[in-house]
Amino acid sequence: MNDRLANRLKDRRTELGLTQGQLADLCLVSRKTINTVENGVFVPSTLLALKLAEALSVPVEQLFWIAR
Amino acid sequence: MSYREKSDFDRPTAESVEEQRRTMIWVIPLVVMQQGMAIFRHDADKSSQLISTVAWAAVTLAILWLLLGLPLRWLSERDRAILNDEWAREVSGDAARWGIAALAVIGCGLMIGRVWWTLDAGISVYGLVNGALLVAVLRYAWLNRAEPAEDE
Repeated sequence: MNDRLANRLKDRRTELGLTQGQLADLCLVSRKTINTVENGVFVPSTLLALKLAEALSVPVEQLFWIAR
Repeated sequence: MSYREKSDFDRPTAESVEEQRRTMIWVIPLVVMQQGMAIFRHDADKSSQLISTVAWAAVTLAILWLLLGLPLRWLSERDRAILNDEWAREVSGDAARWGIAALAVIGCGLMIGRVWWTLDAGISVYGLVNGALLVAVLRYAWLNRAEPAEDE
């Protein structure tokens, strides 16, 4: 099985005019965390995924989904 | 009597500590190797033993802080959260795994090597510990390499 977590974090972030640094500050994580999640290098925990969804004002399932 | 508020111009922030984690990580194996040599030296006098012990304790604290994220009182809650965020834990966890794997491989190598060569216990422990540490630090440095550009 080749499941991977896809996301539209960057699209939503740029829609809101936020930089990675600003989003990182909203979620209390480093910019590198945001960068690596956006690029699919790092799979965030449920807690962080929910925090990101909250900061970007979208339901979490609109931000992350399983790509097969 | 009034007190002037303590200036915080030189107070470390999450960003400055992150930068140091990236750029100064090589210091840890270097100091551990140097101190390890001092430990295994047979003719070390009291003063060099004392200096070695202090340096070793400092490095131990640095490693504990890197791996476990021990709270530093001068960092704000925000800075502590950023420094111990998921990516930081992921990187140090992965580096520690590589270190343990290196420990197993080097240990196995020493076991095989002793069939042909007589191994000195001190040197072997030194090589085992520092080899594993070096691998862990290199892995850490690789994963935590230069800050990527905004949209990289």
